Amino acid sequence: MDVEAKRIMALSISKLYSLRTQRGGLSLHRSLLLSLTVRAARDIYHTAQLLRDAEEEQVVPCAPDAAIEEPMEISNDSPQTLTPKEVAMKPQEPKETLEDDKENRCASERHSRKRCCKTAVEPDFLPLKKAKMDTDEEKQHLHGEVLRTNNGNSCRQAETLTAFPTNRAIVAC
Amino acid sequence: MCGGLRAGGGGNDVQWCFSQVKGAIDDDVAEADIISTVEFNHSGELLATGDKGGRVVIFQQETENKSQPQCRSEYNVYSTFQSHEPEFDYLKSLEIEEKINKIRWLPQKNAAQFLLSTNDKTIKLWKISERDKRPEGYNLKEEDGRYRDAATITTLRVPVFRPMDLMVEASPRRVFANGHTYHINSISVNSDNETYLSADDLRINLWHLEITDRSFNVVDIKPANMEELTEVITAAEFHPHQCNTFVYSSSKGTIRLCDMRASALCDKHSKLFEEPEDPSNRSFFSEIISSISDVKFSHNGRYMMTRDYLSVKIWDLNMENRPVETYQVHEYLRSKLCSLYENDCIFDKFECCWNGNDSVVMTGSYNNFFRMLDRSQRRDVTLEASRESCKPRQVLKPRRVCAGGKRKKDEISVDSLDFNKKILHTAWHPQENIIAVATTNNLYIFQEKVN
Repeated sequence: MDVEAKRIMALSISKLYSLRTQRGGLSLHRSLLLSLTVRAARDIYHTAQLLRDAEEEQVVPCAPDAAIEEPMEISNDSPQTLTPKEVAMKPQEPKETLEDDKENRCASERHSRKRCCKTAVEPDFLPLKKAKMDTDEEKQHLHGEVLRTNNGNSCRQAETLTAFPTNRAIVAC
Repeated sequence: MCGGLRAGGGGNDVQWCFSQVKGAIDDDVAEADIISTVEFNHSGELLATGDKGGRVVIFQQETENKSQPQCRSEYNVYSTFQSHEPEFDYLKSLEIEEKINKIRWLPQKNAAQFLLSTNDKTIKLWKISERDKRPEGYNLKEEDGRYRDAATITTLRVPVFRPMDLMVEASPRRVFANGHTYHINSISVNSDNETYLSADDLRINLWHLEITDRSFNVVDIKPANMEELTEVITAAEFHPHQCNTFVYSSSKGTIRLCDMRASALCDKHSKLFEEPEDPSNRSFFSEIISSISDVKFSHNGRYMMTRDYLSVKIWDLNMENRPVETYQVHEYLRSKLCSLYENDCIFDKFECCWNGNDSVVMTGSYNNFFRMLDRSQRRDVTLEASRESCKPRQVLKPRRVCAGGKRKKDEISVDSLDFNKKILHTAWHPQENIIAVATTNNLYIFQEKVN
């Protein structure tokens, strides 16, 4: 299910990008529908990841003290240690708070009891070129928010999309 | 409540026959020729089409031969004109497409005909008038326009009108520009014959037909912060008799009825029509397929019809919590939504229309299929607009789609459907059983079989 969700997210993102070059200007209706689909897919992907986390938690119990002290690679503020139950409730949070997240703010739903992983790589399904008409603000945003994946090489969570530029796409209309 | 119980012969046992097809036979379709709107006028005598190239073509029904009532009247080209041209918005660095989104006829008041046509940003009022006489016998000019030598003029004469070959002229009488920031999706003429509304993704404006430099904004759903946007306006229409009432549909599958007597700004609806979602049908694409692509009042003004991706719903204006009738247009596509999302077909905006006495509704589908849903007899039929059924007076055979399992003879399987052949625009003559069905670049006219 989360594989499908991820695929749909990628598909939707590329459709959103291609909307910008369409004749007649950006269609607000289409961008809205695409971004709603991205969110739906993201939520499902997110939930599936958390459930998998919770399962792994039970399967591989770590020494509690050592795990909690594990430093997070990319972390800013926000409490990292949440119980699975709290984590499961997180998806109901209003989506606006996710959009408010700045670059590199760790998704606060992350569990900290993981080993450090290697640096995340940019996925290959995003278009190589950035849109030329971007304002500086948009450029900053786009730079930070790429879908990160660790290609399943680590038990560390891949970041989900935070403050995704879908909304920027709508604003640009 | 669902339709599709039994395949029948179409509305009220009507059998449909091919009458005419307009447009190029080529399979290679020029983008400018793609038909984007079809509309009969109030008498049904005129049929207008708009295309992606910004042109309007009007067909006129031949006057029937009274001595031969079985003689079918045909539609022939009456007038063609370029309504909109491509434009460029320099401020936003955006091109404005010339594609005609909607055409709406004004009720006829005098010899001339009037229609409103709109692209994404500008609405125009066109006057279509006939000229079949011209003045002849000027004193100073010859018939070909050359000036006569003054010395040769010895008498005075009064010019007279003499018959000439019919000439149909289209002239733009009003241009209603700069009223919309977003793309116009609907226009609707009010029953007061003085005003009309235009709707874009976030706003609805009320115009007076005589006044082009300003309009009233009656609905504005733009949020203060665009990042909080959750729905857009997809269609709007005035009530056919009540000049104070209009409805607008949204991308969330709701319809709001507004009364302009209640307040100047109709942001607060008078009625909200919404059906609770069936949780068993939830998927990634639920939001997209619940978006309403068209809303149309019945002629009698008691009902309205909405079209979303998979179904047609009939609503009683007195009941807000659910539609009175629901018809599945192509339910076999529900399991294919992912592929339809990939090829963008899921975003196709199908229109729908009522017949003259509100007993049958019609809407388009893929593979050049269109559906006739008979409300009174609870029957539905799928027909096809194809070049293969183009013999004069050839009766259209009902088509069937096989959703799965063993395919019967004459059935077509879902995977064989051509999703590039879509019928988005259809129109029904206001009084007779004559329908106009637009495929990508052809206009088919079908009529009731006359024995």
